[in-house]
Amino acid sequence: MAVQKKPDAVDVVIVGLGASGGTAAKVLSEAGLHVVGLERGPYLRHDEHFSGDELKFVNRSYMWPDAKLTPRTRRVDDDEVAQPYPFSMTPQLVGGGTNHWAGWVPRPRPSDFLQRSLHGDVDGMSLADWPFQYEHLEPYLTKIEWEFGVSGIAGADRGEGFRSRPFPSQPLPPTRWGRKFYSAANEMGINAFPIPHAMVTNEHKGRRPFNRTSFWNQYGDPSGARSNTATTFIPEALATGNFELRSDCFVREVKVGKDGRATGVVYVDQTGAEVEQDARVVVLSMGAIETARLMLLSQSALFPDGLANSSGLVGKNATFHEYLFAIGFFDNEIDDPLYGWTGNYISGGTMDFYETDESRGHMGGCIVSSSQTCHPINMVFPGRPAWGQAFKDADRTFFNYAMKIGLILHDMPQERNRVDLDPTHKDFMGLPVARITHRAHENDRAMGRWQVDKNIEILEVAGARKTIPVYLDQVTGNTCHQHGTARMGFDPETSVLNEWCQTHDIDNVFVVDGSAFPTSLGVNPTLAMMANAWRSCEYIVDNYLPGRVERLAAARA
Amino acid sequence: MSSKADWTTFLEPVDPDSSDRLFFSPHEWDTVEALSARIIPTDHDPGAREARVVVFIDRYLSGINYIFAAADGSGFLRIDGHYATAWRSRIADMQRTYRDGLAQLDARCRSEWGEPFVSLDEDRQDRALELLSGAPKPGPVTLGTTEPASTFTQFLTDDGLGFFDALCLHVKQGFYADPVYGGNKGRLGWRVIGFEGPEKLKDTMDGTYSTDSLFVQDYSWADLIPQLKAQTTWALPT
Repeated sequence: MAVQKKPDAVDVVIVGLGASGGTAAKVLSEAGLHVVGLERGPYLRHDEHFSGDELKFVNRSYMWPDAKLTPRTRRVDDDEVAQPYPFSMTPQLVGGGTNHWAGWVPRPRPSDFLQRSLHGDVDGMSLADWPFQYEHLEPYLTKIEWEFGVSGIAGADRGEGFRSRPFPSQPLPPTRWGRKFYSAANEMGINAFPIPHAMVTNEHKGRRPFNRTSFWNQYGDPSGARSNTATTFIPEALATGNFELRSDCFVREVKVGKDGRATGVVYVDQTGAEVEQDARVVVLSMGAIETARLMLLSQSALFPDGLANSSGLVGKNATFHEYLFAIGFFDNEIDDPLYGWTGNYISGGTMDFYETDESRGHMGGCIVSSSQTCHPINMVFPGRPAWGQAFKDADRTFFNYAMKIGLILHDMPQERNRVDLDPTHKDFMGLPVARITHRAHENDRAMGRWQVDKNIEILEVAGARKTIPVYLDQVTGNTCHQHGTARMGFDPETSVLNEWCQTHDIDNVFVVDGSAFPTSLGVNPTLAMMANAWRSCEYIVDNYLPGRVERLAAARA
Repeated sequence: MSSKADWTTFLEPVDPDSSDRLFFSPHEWDTVEALSARIIPTDHDPGAREARVVVFIDRYLSGINYIFAAADGSGFLRIDGHYATAWRSRIADMQRTYRDGLAQLDARCRSEWGEPFVSLDEDRQDRALELLSGAPKPGPVTLGTTEPASTFTQFLTDDGLGFFDALCLHVKQGFYADPVYGGNKGRLGWRVIGFEGPEKLKDTMDGTYSTDSLFVQDYSWADLIPQLKAQTTWALPT
């Protein structure tokens, strides 16, 4: 298709307006740069489009990309033909995954940045240290906590790294199932605390956090409680007058000029017209799967294997986390009801098992949180009878008498685990879809088993009378956490990005989402992703663009 | 094509007492109603029949008009653009799954017992569901045991499901979904299991519906988190 429109060039074009793209929009436009943000999905209005409709939000994928339009495929090993599978789908709209998320936003620990130094070379793994340390990110973690809105209690986690400022908002009261977790943890000497939560409980920055409906994880929030870039950073960027948001625009290629630098992007707009948007800087922030896919789709004479892919590492070393858990059922004739469906998904958690302890037989560890068992249609209940009196009896007996203790599996990077272009399946635009090849490492399985069993132990101390452990077989992408497909590092042969998320190959292309993570953190990644995006965008504003201007002036003189 | 942000609202909430059929034939309607009554039977509490699950499924299979309720429950969203194409194709697949599945179920029942599913007594209907599912009727969930499972995706659509699995899922949805979709009449599905859900969808948008009272009311962070007692500097944000 020929390019039908060519608007004026801008300073920066951002592709993808979720957690990290929303952060980039704010930081760059507040610094006075002229920025265009492109998002595949719509710009929904939270107070008009969101409500507690389980069928619509959880089963009929209202906020998600339609798997018939933009499918993905998945396989475990290279010799298999990948099959269509909704692997790590993430909501497709302005705000991305910050629309539906439960909002666990714990800080990473200093050890997360030093996985290779701590563990050395481990068979099958491609461990790497980060090109910066926790203390470099700390000021930005604090900025996100305050600007975006995070609730928590400073000092409650006995193993937390240095913190320069407490939280801006206090946690929700505990749920009844959360209190069970606190009691059992205390009995076992485990340090339980409210996992920092991407929500506010007070009127922070003018937000009205009135939503106490318990429709939370996977639902849009009609109030100002949830921290969502669509209701915070994006409006702040728009308010500068320097940011133009174009929703329902599907970017299909990053263009590279004869000089080997990016000239901008080509996208299809809502009317179906093909548009070329030139920019001095291209920022990619679509999530580690779609960013890698766009880079691999952007083939040119200078980069035949994909944008900025001279290392051949674009798409590789992909890590995804996995949500594992244990369920506990209580006796409705003896015990008090727990109302497992209430709350804002998490209530009480711990990071006591986070650091490597060789006596457990595996390296690394997990963050744990007691969490909602969800609403009636989708009650989290493996082994729920499919039909008949047993189904009705089980729902009636256990719906209000269940709790769950979940964990985020800290899966380790392997070069073989990757995102590439599927050779046969195409999306509705006719472009090859992302193919995921992923086999869990033995360490991933061992870590999951140990922690799930520990969660069972906590449930038993809490008084559960039946338990259901859910172990890792293969990673299914059930967390929406995506990392590693354009890892940062100092060496252009072993990494795609430098420590400022700038590609080694093309100086005006930056990748500011989870793609940059050399290792997946053990914690949920979004707080660190947003902090890293902020840090990298500050570099663009303070160092890269000014330096570039000076160098150009000198060259022209 | 209009953006999802601009989809308009049309139609009314589905009347659970309606006997208008938008997709099923009279015989299919009766068969699905009888099937739903074996999947969530009526006992001392109402079941799928009283919840009007058959109305819910009929509307779902009728096309793309009843896929997404408007946020406030006043009607339904008129799906547009690529999403309309995708949903039309999805529903066409599911219509075939039901039409073929119901015909095959009846053929099986006739060959086993000489009668279609609706004419069988409840024991034979259960036996027919066992044949359809290829597994014995599920037994009760009991306390005192540990039953391991493997991880699964949280992305829960009905894409690719066969007739039996789709039917069980849709009956469950029709029993528990917001009443705007035609099932869960008078919120009776919620009452059976003790789910104190909202009276109206709109009540979830403005703070009218709240589950505040089900949170713990009397607590102190210092009691819940002994670590705080070891600290001298912690303080709650105000």
